[in-house]
Amino acid sequence: MLRTRSVLIFLSLAFLGLSNATGQNRYTISGYINDSASGEALIGASLFVKEINKGIGTNVYGFYSITLDEGTYTLQVRYLGYKDMVRTVALTSDQKQNFDMASSAVVIREAEVVGRKGKGNTESTDMGRIDVDVQKLRTLPALLGEVDILKVIQFLPGVKSNGEGNSGFYVRGGGPDQNLILLDDATVYNASHLFGFFSVFNADAVKNLELYKGGMPAQYGGRISSVLDITMKEGNDQKFHGQGGIGLISSRLTLEGPIVKDRSSFIVSGRRTYIDVLTKPFLKDNPNFGGSGYYFYDLNAKANYRISDKDRVYLSGYFGRDVFDFGTSNPGDPKFKIPWGNATVAGRWNHVFGPKLFMNATATFSDYKFEFQGDQDQFSFSLKSGIRDYGLKVDLNQYASVQHNLKYGGQYINHLYTPSTVVVESGDTDFNIDTPSRLKAHEGALYISDEFEATDRLLITAGLRLTTFTHVGSYNEYIFDDQGVQTGTRSYAAGEKIASYAALEPRLSARFKLNKNSSVKASYNRGQQYVHLASFSSIALPTDVWIPSSKNVKPLIGSQYAAGYYRDFAERMFETSVEVYYKDMQNLIEYAEGVQPQDNGNNNYDANLVFGKGYSYGAEFFVKKRTGKLNGWVGYTWSKTMRIFDDINNGEEFPSRWDRRNDISVVVGYDHSKRWQFGATFVYSTGQAVTLPVNRYWIEGRLVSEYTQRNGYRMAPYHRLDLAATLHNRDTKEMTDPTTGEVTEVPRKWRSSWTFSVYNAYNRANPYFIYFANSGVPAEGTFQVVAKQVSLFSILPSITWNFNF
Amino acid sequence: MRSSILPFLAVASLLTACTKDITVDLPTTDPKLVVEGTIEIGGPPLVILTRTQSYFDPTSLESIASIFVRDAVITVSDGITTVPLTQICSSAIPDSLIDEAAALTGLDPALLASADICIYAYTGNDFLGVEGRTYSLNIDAGGELASSVTSIPYAVALDSLWFRLAQQQPDDDSLGFIYATLTDPDTMGNAYRWFAKRINQDYDGDQKDDQFIAPLFSVFEDRYINALTFDFNFNRGSSQYSSDEDDENEEAGYFKRGDTVVVKFVSIGIPEFQFYNTYANNVASQGDLFSTPANARTNISGGLGVWAGYAQAIDTMVCVP
Repeated sequence: MLRTRSVLIFLSLAFLGLSNATGQNRYTISGYINDSASGEALIGASLFVKEINKGIGTNVYGFYSITLDEGTYTLQVRYLGYKDMVRTVALTSDQKQNFDMASSAVVIREAEVVGRKGKGNTESTDMGRIDVDVQKLRTLPALLGEVDILKVIQFLPGVKSNGEGNSGFYVRGGGPDQNLILLDDATVYNASHLFGFFSVFNADAVKNLELYKGGMPAQYGGRISSVLDITMKEGNDQKFHGQGGIGLISSRLTLEGPIVKDRSSFIVSGRRTYIDVLTKPFLKDNPNFGGSGYYFYDLNAKANYRISDKDRVYLSGYFGRDVFDFGTSNPGDPKFKIPWGNATVAGRWNHVFGPKLFMNATATFSDYKFEFQGDQDQFSFSLKSGIRDYGLKVDLNQYASVQHNLKYGGQYINHLYTPSTVVVESGDTDFNIDTPSRLKAHEGALYISDEFEATDRLLITAGLRLTTFTHVGSYNEYIFDDQGVQTGTRSYAAGEKIASYAALEPRLSARFKLNKNSSVKASYNRGQQYVHLASFSSIALPTDVWIPSSKNVKPLIGSQYAAGYYRDFAERMFETSVEVYYKDMQNLIEYAEGVQPQDNGNNNYDANLVFGKGYSYGAEFFVKKRTGKLNGWVGYTWSKTMRIFDDINNGEEFPSRWDRRNDISVVVGYDHSKRWQFGATFVYSTGQAVTLPVNRYWIEGRLVSEYTQRNGYRMAPYHRLDLAATLHNRDTKEMTDPTTGEVTEVPRKWRSSWTFSVYNAYNRANPYFIYFANSGVPAEGTFQVVAKQVSLFSILPSITWNFNF
Repeated sequence: MRSSILPFLAVASLLTACTKDITVDLPTTDPKLVVEGTIEIGGPPLVILTRTQSYFDPTSLESIASIFVRDAVITVSDGITTVPLTQICSSAIPDSLIDEAAALTGLDPALLASADICIYAYTGNDFLGVEGRTYSLNIDAGGELASSVTSIPYAVALDSLWFRLAQQQPDDDSLGFIYATLTDPDTMGNAYRWFAKRINQDYDGDQKDDQFIAPLFSVFEDRYINALTFDFNFNRGSSQYSSDEDDENEEAGYFKRGDTVVVKFVSIGIPEFQFYNTYANNVASQGDLFSTPANARTNISGGLGVWAGYAQAIDTMVCVP
């Protein structure tokens, strides 16, 4: 509590500073910074005021505001990959200054894939924040040629992949459910297709991606490990445009254009895989897989309308489905159908109240559904689960003065959870499986934060977030006696409170500049999380079920302390940093040992859970070359992540699945010429901790495994090199003037490129999982046991053709 | 529903590039006692006592035979009478009775014949399983203690049994499954185990099965079927030691038109159900990436395995579709 109070005192002091006005007249310059060709807002573009040697960045809507003393100023606007703009303004009243920046393809090539837009590495208070430029991802190698925005963040220190080829990620020892993934402010609950090999984000539709792996700002909440904030493109409001690609396993098409020029635009983007179409002919004759098929598709759509200079509205949506059929050609064999997917909708209204106050109001809808249908003969089984959210959010950004940038707002989410619902039928008999209560909950939050420039050297961002969560009826709770026999149910009426939680979450980060090129930073934040992912398997599968905090399931509490040293070299050609962190997690959940999905029937949704805690600490080293023909980065992480559960591993501490002592990642890009670009990535990490049987015994002649230590064994280290080469077809053609005979180069309307990619270039057999097989009969002397290691992807070349017009 | 993992495995196997043998360095732990004990209605208590081995201990016959514990002091009590179990070793059993001993214990006759294997049984005829009674088991294996308690529930007979063709191949009119109708009593907490034995002769003139065989997944409870009358079916289990042709060809897993089958439908308690259920999952999930590794849930304190009271109801049928 003491900590909370000091934050409050600090905040009040900060506010006092706001009214500390000088005698001179002060005026505000505000406006939007856009791309001149497409009208897309430029996120994190920087506006630098030469005379006072201070700068500011645009927000995610491209808006900026800065308040200065009366006078004449030189404004310099910069954005990576665009030509600088300089404008001189005489400030005698509040002014609106919009900037339309032109792309600088001909000027210096800054092929920075991930970086920190706006304020540089050593400038901002952000720790562990990364922006990813999606358009530049294409030159990096990709599994089967599918460019995946979630896979590139896995190359950053502190961010780890879920496993071979997997788009699931873990941040600083936190579980997969501890990442808040937002698509235009709507929560995406399951960001994976095809059991994790591909993410749901179609890179063609995505404009920007921001990842916070620590020092989470107060406007975000609800998850304790990280925030991944993804912004969809708005669509070109100048002219009609298309882009797409044809790859080995999927094809994409994106169309965008103005609805009303300069005022309104749209974008529609779709992707579908065709593995099913390609493999069906081969599988048809294979009795084992004859009835099998798999595909997924994504659809993104967004439209916006600029009502006036002060008001702009957006409507965006995502819809994606995975459909997986499994069956053999034999009529009597079991058949399965497993559809799952996400849908999100976000409606947003940007309003500029005045030159200093910007508002974004958002209404969101998120839906995640998973279904499993199985049939064999007259027996049928189905399992459903899902989560549906309706949310409302208001964010205000007040550019109080040059020293203060205030953000405050509130959020409300109405959650509806469907825990695993099982329906079993055998012939005409319906089994006695109750439809479990759907779980309803209200989540609310209020926040305020201030970025406060205390001195030229010291910049502080302090915030406070108040969160509440209430699980309400209607709900039927099963009541059991000591023997586990059900004795009755307790019914909660609609709206009746079942459990309620509230918390004050302090967020604090500070930067102290040592000199022009280096700074130190520190941050502390604490958060509560009210949704939990209960997982039956050791890898992320769509069968994992989202459940809310309630009477027995306490909110997940996460605290993180971090400190770092940042230094730029050679005019920011190189950026380097060292960050250390310690993270503490309370009230983690797991299913008890041996629980199967069907055990949740006719039982409380939280009955089979066990609770524990965890911690993670580590050091992350990062060196990045930002500019030049050869660019990229090297990251190294040393970390330790442990879990402690009373009911697992006899209460002894055990390494988390995401514990990797050493982790190295290298990303290199080389821009050989206008036509050829090359990319390479390399990763190395300590082997994954897995649980293996230690002893064997026999029951009824079958070999039984005895497990002793959870995650007590390490698989071999993982390492892999991927390579890519991109060939751009000529984007100009020669035209001869029919009258003068003069030959000129004109840009082509159609432009295209080929990307050749090799996954796992030196064909390393990385361990995916290990199992023990046994065969034979002891009495015949034929019995044997053997340990086997399965590797998933060998060397995998791919080719993708991309086009745009 | 147990096969929910199958489709994921299928995808994995479609993408799988390679599997190779590796050596793993596992920690060593002290061996534990493993109990495989039953008492059924009208039958004597029977206990097979072994020890765990390190997973990669030698796999020779000698090594496997060495896990059977000798000279343990084992008693069973029904709360009134306590009786000692007698150690019976296969070297003392005449060769002509080995098959019978194997049928009784569920052990491989070849193992009994080629190594000196000892088990424990009550050899008198004045202490046999009775419905509704509770039996406690106490084991002292050279100072190492293990104990357990089980009850024999009341037997629940099947309403009916019939055979239906599986028709896996369009022209197949002989292979099928056995179906049963069960009326579950209206109290919660019933659980069942299914065994079957084919007593007709095979081509060689031998009885097809020497012993009752439970498929790997052989148990269910009444959590979802309490007080219902419903149909279910089972495939044909095979003995672990079988090298019979019909356990390896297309008949594996099926009963066949004309088979005479004795079905032993056993009522068991919930802890025993939990053991057999988790045991089946443990065996089935070996090599399964998608399940969390889990031990079989034992009801033995001081050891692993199960001590189970069986209330059997026996029925015989002929497989005619």
